[in-house]
Amino acid sequence: MISDLRFRGAGWGKRLFIFLMMAIMTIYVLLILYPLFNMVISAFKSNREILTKPFGFPQSIGFKNFHTVWVEKGFDRYFANSLLVTGVAMGFVLLFGSMGAYGVSRYRYKANTLVYMLFLSGIMLPLKAAIIPLFIIVKRLGLIDSRISVILIFIAMGLPSTVFILSGFMKGIPLELEYAARIDGCHDFQIYRRIIMPMTAPAIALVTIYNAVPIWNDFFFPLVFLQSNSRKTLPVGLSTFFGQHATNWSLLFTGLSIAILPMLLMYIFMSRYFIKGMTAGAVK
Amino acid sequence: MKRFLLLMLVCTVAVSTLFAAGTTETPAAGSQTKTEIHFWTWRPEDVDFYARQIAIFEAANPDIKVVQTAHKNTEYNTILAAALAGGSGPDVFQGRAYGGLATFADSHYLEPLEQWLPELKNYSPTALLGATSPTDGKIYGSPAVSQTVFMYYNKAIYKELGLSIPKNWAQLIANFEAMKKAGYIPLANGAKDGWTLETMLGGMGPAFYGATDFFTAVVEGKRNFQDPAFIKMIEKMKSLTAYMPNMFMGVSYEDMRANFFNEVAGHLVGGSYEAAYFNTQNPDLYYDVFAIPGEDASKPAPVSVYADMNFAMNAASQKKNASVKFLKFLSSKDFGNSMIRDLKMISSVPGVDASSDPFIARVLELQKNATPFIFLVGFRYQQPTGSSLWQAAAQGVMAGTLTPAQAAKQVQDGIASYYKPFQK
Amino acid sequence: MDVKQLRKAAWIIFFVTPGLMIVGVFILLPLFMSLYNSLFSWNQLLPVEFVGLENFSRLFTKYPYQQRFLNALQNNLIWFLSTMILQNSVGLLFGYLMSRSIPGYQAFKRIFFIPVLFSIIAVGFLWGLYLKPSGLVNNFLGLIGLESLQHAWLGEERFATMAIIMVNIWRWVGFPSLVFLAAIDNVPTECLEAAHLDGVGEWKLFWKIVFPLIIPSITIITVLTVIGSLNVFEQIYTMTGLDGGPNYSTDTIGTLFYRTAFGSVDAGSPEIGIGSAIGVVIYILTFLISLISIRFSRSREVQL
Repeated sequence: MISDLRFRGAGWGKRLFIFLMMAIMTIYVLLILYPLFNMVISAFKSNREILTKPFGFPQSIGFKNFHTVWVEKGFDRYFANSLLVTGVAMGFVLLFGSMGAYGVSRYRYKANTLVYMLFLSGIMLPLKAAIIPLFIIVKRLGLIDSRISVILIFIAMGLPSTVFILSGFMKGIPLELEYAARIDGCHDFQIYRRIIMPMTAPAIALVTIYNAVPIWNDFFFPLVFLQSNSRKTLPVGLSTFFGQHATNWSLLFTGLSIAILPMLLMYIFMSRYFIKGMTAGAVK
Repeated sequence: MKRFLLLMLVCTVAVSTLFAAGTTETPAAGSQTKTEIHFWTWRPEDVDFYARQIAIFEAANPDIKVVQTAHKNTEYNTILAAALAGGSGPDVFQGRAYGGLATFADSHYLEPLEQWLPELKNYSPTALLGATSPTDGKIYGSPAVSQTVFMYYNKAIYKELGLSIPKNWAQLIANFEAMKKAGYIPLANGAKDGWTLETMLGGMGPAFYGATDFFTAVVEGKRNFQDPAFIKMIEKMKSLTAYMPNMFMGVSYEDMRANFFNEVAGHLVGGSYEAAYFNTQNPDLYYDVFAIPGEDASKPAPVSVYADMNFAMNAASQKKNASVKFLKFLSSKDFGNSMIRDLKMISSVPGVDASSDPFIARVLELQKNATPFIFLVGFRYQQPTGSSLWQAAAQGVMAGTLTPAQAAKQVQDGIASYYKPFQK
Repeated sequence: MDVKQLRKAAWIIFFVTPGLMIVGVFILLPLFMSLYNSLFSWNQLLPVEFVGLENFSRLFTKYPYQQRFLNALQNNLIWFLSTMILQNSVGLLFGYLMSRSIPGYQAFKRIFFIPVLFSIIAVGFLWGLYLKPSGLVNNFLGLIGLESLQHAWLGEERFATMAIIMVNIWRWVGFPSLVFLAAIDNVPTECLEAAHLDGVGEWKLFWKIVFPLIIPSITIITVLTVIGSLNVFEQIYTMTGLDGGPNYSTDTIGTLFYRTAFGSVDAGSPEIGIGSAIGVVIYILTFLISLISIRFSRSREVQL
């Protein structure tokens, strides 16, 4: 196999190159893991410890902060709401997004570019810019203080980049595969389901994380549209730790440490789709 | 295909539970007779305080239920604007003062309060100014608190070094020098967050630019910000960088306060709102405040004062009678006293008892030489506001990329782009 | 129109409509409603009268709007160039190395994306800690004897923008890495093997074979970088504030837009007319530049 960079059997120049590259990548790994560690240990500190000794170890390891955040501050409820909102929104983002991508990348028609640009123009300005008209629309639909409002907004926010990224990948899939399936009697939806979707799995994994993270972390829209405490999401809960003149950093970091967990788990799960040869195998 | 169907199924179930949850929650059992009013604040740190106060109010008014929501301060205006423009929003809420009030009042989202709250006429004119729209002169908020800007100093360090409260600028600098020699940071302030430089101006500026005389003259357009006195004040401010922390341009608001309450630094120019925070972060901190003197010791040193918060009512509220009851409660002496006691805030309610708290008493004493916090009180009504111009220009001065004269010109030109008295 | 074409049209509509509906109602409609505001003069939050393009002419010609706008636009350009040159080329390198199974690539692949998972609040606070005068970066420079290089990274006009860009690259470089990894993995191995047997060297292999085949993903990354750099907002907001301090040195059209349209708590009231005009300019710029990059790269795409 040629496609591996290995020390064994490599010349000196190549070995040096591999070593150098590994060193750079390892440094980056350290630059990632340290802040992660820093965030988690801050969850065990008091506010004053965070401000005076931000890099030191906590004086004692106790789960008091976690208890406060989870039980007293009601993060169990917020957490469940966030899971629900993000999960449902992402489900539809992936479904409608991949369908849209299929619709713009696998057919040739005149309005093709127009549809493509319509989708894409949804990410050219942050939606925050249009909060007042958006509020009026949501109110007309009678969705104020309903989780459906934020779900719909999140779906809308996730779709443009999903369509954009997926259509880029779908374009690269050879047309012959489609012809073969058509001869076997598949209709368009079956082609989308059985051929195109499996082949774009790594890209789907990518857009899932790319969109789920901002949706999971967004506090602005839930803050505007959800008023009942029982419907609020995790980032809204986090925002309550920011006072005007006093921020509760220790509870904030506890909350942040809790909040990153589902994303980490999802990412670890998704990263198995980045397996080489999975798509290449399908081409043969 | 199976997995896909499963996903769809999960989605449908999830969506239907959403609807279900939405319908079961709305009619809270047994609350038909109660009027529910919504109350918004930008003080997440005071949620417990307001919850206690609301409990007192509800005990006295069993037919009213108050639902409190505290929003993140920095997003508060945006959320409130969206809700009010959309025809909903809270019934009663914390309102900003001066220009922040005008934004909502001139958009007709606020209810004029004089006919609802006759007691407003007892308030001090300074407090009322912050709650009055300059456009129609009506009062749109019940003034809640005022803030004062001055110098915090660490009494323990003063004692240790044998220092006393400075009577003039030279003595202040001498105190700074003594602290520097002893290894303390003389002045905790930094310049990373522009708005803290407006606070600094409020603290040390008035004595140099000539306090209220100058304020009145610029507001009328008789003098302007390129006045020699104002430029000299900027030079004095720049000279303080010698006593600020190393690499002060990178020192943020959080860092400067931490340096002060951790007793690494001996002074901090700050607002009266800091006291409560210091007490929670370091209960052992032994501190007090003084007004920053100018060069002439014979004149009492002025302090900048501004109205900071008021309680306002939504003009579109369907429950004005209940809302007024709550507003009256928020304007009561008892509530004002609780604000002093629990939050260490200087309540604007007339006749509140401040003697119980020595810090508040001291602030009220300094307020005898009050002068308006210049940019906030006078020049925050239109963009570019005096505040935003000053904050950026001051950063330039402190970093040395702008001269005091250039900074003064930037501020002057910016305000003159819309301020009629400057265009003559 | 024959049946076949009708069927095709029906399928296209079936695939595209659900997404377009949602994007249309919840993004495009409110966005255009709000951009329409740029044609009015405003009294606080209420429109007063139709003024045509006056807000635009004020934005482009009047002090201080013109100065603020050009200054911000310049910073957006710095963002775009730095992101393209630093982040995306490093991403391409990382992606390529991982696709060639450099030792440890399994671990790298799983770790590189972690910064993206951080909430921006955590990124802003932690990097604020590392970059402050007594922070880790300066401590490290002191440790290796480079005290002269210590700076207030986020507080000095000449470093602040670059410092925030570096943090952003730290946060996002995993994304192009994985996009390129997925794209390179899509290149059929036969191509590479055949070239290798012909004795093509590593460098040539990359430029002559891999690179042309991954142009679609390069387009994706380029367009997303264009959009991202013209919309930079949160990074500035969390690290140097809404005013793009110090002295507007980190201001971008995103922050300028937000504080003009909504006002900022510490500095002032909203100016919806001019704010919306800035929004329109951002929108048009993004649209045109994206369209150009898409057209440009389409002409260079290679079909297998």
